[in-house]
Amino acid sequence: MKVLVIGSGPIVIGQAAEFDYAGTQACKSLREEGHSVVLLNSNPATIMTDPGVADALYIEPMTLDFCTRIIERERPDALLPTLGGQTGLNLATQLEDAGVLEKYNVKVLGTPLSAIKQAEDRESFRSLMREIKEPVPESWIVGTDAELEAILDVVPYPCIIRPAYTLGGTGGGIANTREELMETGRKGLKLSMRSQIMVERSLLGWKEVEYEVMRDSNGTVITVCNMENFDPMGVHTGDSIVVAPSQTLSDLEYHMLRTASLKIISALGIEGGCNVQLAVNPHSFDYYIIEVNPRVSRSSALASKATGYPIARVAAKIAVGKTLDEIDNQVTGTTKAAFEPALDYCVVKLPRFPFDKFATGDRTLFTQMKATGEVMAIDRTFEAAMMKAIRGLEVKQKDLRHEKYQAQDDETLEASVKQPTDDRMWAIIEAIRRGWSLDRVNKICKVDKWFLRKLQKLVEVEQRLVKASESGEDLATLISEAFLIGFSSPSIRSLLDGDGEFASRAAAEIERQKVQPVFKMVDTCAGEFESNTPYYYGTFEVEDDALSKI
Amino acid sequence: MAETVLVLGSGPIRIGQGIEFDYSCVHCVWTLREMGYKAILVNNNPETVSTDFDTSNGLYFEPVTLEDVMDVIAHEKPVGVVCQFGGQTAINLAEGLALRGQKVLGTSPEAIAAAEDREQFDALLEKLGVKRPQGRAVRSLAEAREVVAEVGYPVLVRPSFVLGGRAMEIVFSESQLEGFYNEAEAANPGQPVLVDKYLLGKEAEVDLISDGTNVLVPGIMEHIERAGVHSGDSMAIYPPVSLSQSEVDQMVKIGIGVARELGARGLVNIQFVIVDGEAYVLEVNPRGSRTVPFLSKVTGIPMVDVATRCMMGQSLESLGYSTGLWSLGTDGRAYSGEKGTKWAPIFQGGVLDSAPSGPSSVYAVKAPVFSFQKLRKVEPSLGPEMKSTGEILGVDSTYEAALYKAFVAAGVNFKGDGAVCLTVRDQDKDQAVDIGRRLLAAGRRVVATPGTAAYLSERGVECEVVQKIQAGSPNLLELIQSGGVSMMLNTASLTETSESEAARIRRGCIETGVPCVTSIDTASALVRALEIYDDPSQSTCKRLDEYFTLA
Repeated sequence: MKVLVIGSGPIVIGQAAEFDYAGTQACKSLREEGHSVVLLNSNPATIMTDPGVADALYIEPMTLDFCTRIIERERPDALLPTLGGQTGLNLATQLEDAGVLEKYNVKVLGTPLSAIKQAEDRESFRSLMREIKEPVPESWIVGTDAELEAILDVVPYPCIIRPAYTLGGTGGGIANTREELMETGRKGLKLSMRSQIMVERSLLGWKEVEYEVMRDSNGTVITVCNMENFDPMGVHTGDSIVVAPSQTLSDLEYHMLRTASLKIISALGIEGGCNVQLAVNPHSFDYYIIEVNPRVSRSSALASKATGYPIARVAAKIAVGKTLDEIDNQVTGTTKAAFEPALDYCVVKLPRFPFDKFATGDRTLFTQMKATGEVMAIDRTFEAAMMKAIRGLEVKQKDLRHEKYQAQDDETLEASVKQPTDDRMWAIIEAIRRGWSLDRVNKICKVDKWFLRKLQKLVEVEQRLVKASESGEDLATLISEAFLIGFSSPSIRSLLDGDGEFASRAAAEIERQKVQPVFKMVDTCAGEFESNTPYYYGTFEVEDDALSKI
Repeated sequence: MAETVLVLGSGPIRIGQGIEFDYSCVHCVWTLREMGYKAILVNNNPETVSTDFDTSNGLYFEPVTLEDVMDVIAHEKPVGVVCQFGGQTAINLAEGLALRGQKVLGTSPEAIAAAEDREQFDALLEKLGVKRPQGRAVRSLAEAREVVAEVGYPVLVRPSFVLGGRAMEIVFSESQLEGFYNEAEAANPGQPVLVDKYLLGKEAEVDLISDGTNVLVPGIMEHIERAGVHSGDSMAIYPPVSLSQSEVDQMVKIGIGVARELGARGLVNIQFVIVDGEAYVLEVNPRGSRTVPFLSKVTGIPMVDVATRCMMGQSLESLGYSTGLWSLGTDGRAYSGEKGTKWAPIFQGGVLDSAPSGPSSVYAVKAPVFSFQKLRKVEPSLGPEMKSTGEILGVDSTYEAALYKAFVAAGVNFKGDGAVCLTVRDQDKDQAVDIGRRLLAAGRRVVATPGTAAYLSERGVECEVVQKIQAGSPNLLELIQSGGVSMMLNTASLTETSESEAARIRRGCIETGVPCVTSIDTASALVRALEIYDDPSQSTCKRLDEYFTLA
């Protein structure tokens, strides 16, 4: 079969390198199955557009015109539209609407376009959810300025505005007043490809959880992984700090949300991967379905790396008719893709923002994504993973300290803790450092107390280091403890503030206490099966997977 | 057992350090594996191909910091570390790794310092007799003033050892100097600030591969925007369209000289500005740059592969390459030394001979892509600080069609059937006359703000006048918001602040989805492609390899 694959084009906020990763994997996967790949992607800075990845490579503008010309020339049998992010999906939708797919008899592989439309069009998605009795937040679909005006007095404030068919939630926002709703709503209407927006009850402060699920043509469904946002609802998930697996859900909640996600992917008839975003009330078992992405996404890339399960590869194979029980799990080499991954570690993702470049930019976060990239860190504890993520983020802050927030007075700091921004976590840390109770911090920022307690543990060690020269605490024990919880040598050195004699004693002790990590394997199965994948993370424990495999 | 080589990744995607560096790291790993090494990689970006489970022989998902990397080294005991492909993140670790007794493969940490440390770099250029804009590294505002007294305004002020032009500014007057100096100082505390004469001219850049003796120059990219726009935000053309043979010769000669003098092994990127036919070196980056994937794809030279082999001790000659510029022939085929029988030799003994003459049969234009729609209160006009998040490539058999494709792929489309609006600063007005004339000739409606309109009308370019915002209603901003503008060509006056009228206009365009071109050179390129906009069938649609080989 000759398959046309549409890439995601240039890197923009909302569509970064994850589609090169997914697309490259999928092209390889399709060719493994004996199919030939025709690729369209306008971005030359990708592995996907290298000679040898596709059988026929087109670096042409990703427009209806050029894509039609490619189809005329190449006469592909099929189109795989779910690998190129929103750009790829939009182009596939245009091709279908223009009748190009029908004219040249091009079959759409994997999830049918009708299912994609059903997932992306708010109204049809809502009616499907009502059918299968899954809760969606009350909302109003608006297509014109007049319709917008008509609901100004009806909606509960604050409310959320989400335009249909845009990248990274472009043009969306939160409105606290009628005026704000009018302004943001009009902008959203202009920016939506369909001139359609949804105004929705705000769930600010609820927990935000995502499930990555897969389904094949047999109807077999699995959960690859779930992820929890550190930042509660109201911040785009691409801009949120994310942990995997979820850390604050009870077993009951975990399974309730998993069941809902699997029900949705089945109802939509998706063949491939799908991301389901849910909001969970922190004080009850209420939840709402927020959004469904019926394609590979930034979240699926993160889930793939967090679990070792290659979602794009498996999705491509499902698209050409394979089923989960037939596809090998390449990571273990011994299990099948139908096995749900298990994690015996904690993953933390931090978004990377461009405000070092855009000093005048608006740093507040809401439903419109602003991050250009992200880092992920793996360790056995949330604390250690968080410290790794911070020091690898390539920002000025290398640990828990942040000059800006340390200099703020209490009142300003409270505002900083409340308003989500690119570096709010450091404001939260400063509040904890000042001894604000976790209840108080939680009340202000709504971040779950489990996360706050973990940050508090880190802050406690930090403060003991800072005060060590005065407190006379045993340096050997303290430094070793600091290493084990996740502080790096440079951080410990700079926190251990003291005069000449103390400083040299501290330096020597850091040298002596420096712990060499062992390296653990990311094997998708938490050690249940033999695995040979050389994918490792460092941690301070005893058994070393990397050595034992050599 | 195979020897282990550690490759350092580039960390999170951010402006200035994008996916290009991941591309290079992946290729380096692939080549090392092909050569029989056990290639392991440290990176912490979950979005990338480099961190895919089957890319390397060992993926360490760890932060790319000195301590974390040393921990992996203690564990894996590699024979060497590759710092050249992971952008500034990786190269910044070279010195520390060397101090801790690790072998940095390829270009030595001393050579990296020689290219990045201003004083050493100046001495090196002086020794080679290569020109550069006058200036030097300073450590105080007083010293910065001294430099200005010697070279005169405008000057370029920027921090050292920082990628992507962060906190880089063109300073035109004493009143701006202090603020920008402090900003540059704060961007990289403890490091000197560079103050240089700012030269306005054509910009070009080369990426070259050195094995320590021979130096291959795969190609020269000419920038469409003149100096003053960050190279990452410039449109770049391959092969060059307006560089003279002498200018090309100078750049190749300088590139070869600098790489040899540094004793570079691997990739080197050099940026030039050309003033009155003379090439000045702006900067030398002793590492893989963001243009490597672009140049690899359009020249057909697997640049990272060749550079990796050079780093590991193979010679360019043994790989079938020799010293000199690899040039694109009229038949769309790249030419050089002894790469099989299909390639015609054009250089002998490292001396530049001439490429096959006549216009090229293929042009490739790289264009930046921005994410301004996602970011509120961000000034979209281009300057020395990089702002783009991505790039695209337009290829076709004519320059105009390649330009058209690059613009369209970057999302620069005429929106609706409104007018094209021209509002430009004084020094751009002459160029605006030609632009206006071409627009009218193509049957487009042209509107302009009073100053620009008067200038154009006096020179026979009839356009409608639209009032500035402060003149009341109706004004340009309202025209934009009502859909009356299909394209904005607006260049920022050199002294304006972001609160100014023009900045509001540009933000208005971003918010309503009207394409906004902020460099007069980009605008000139745009009108060159007008004919293809009106008749896209004049562009072709072919596989990439069809453009670059004979049918």
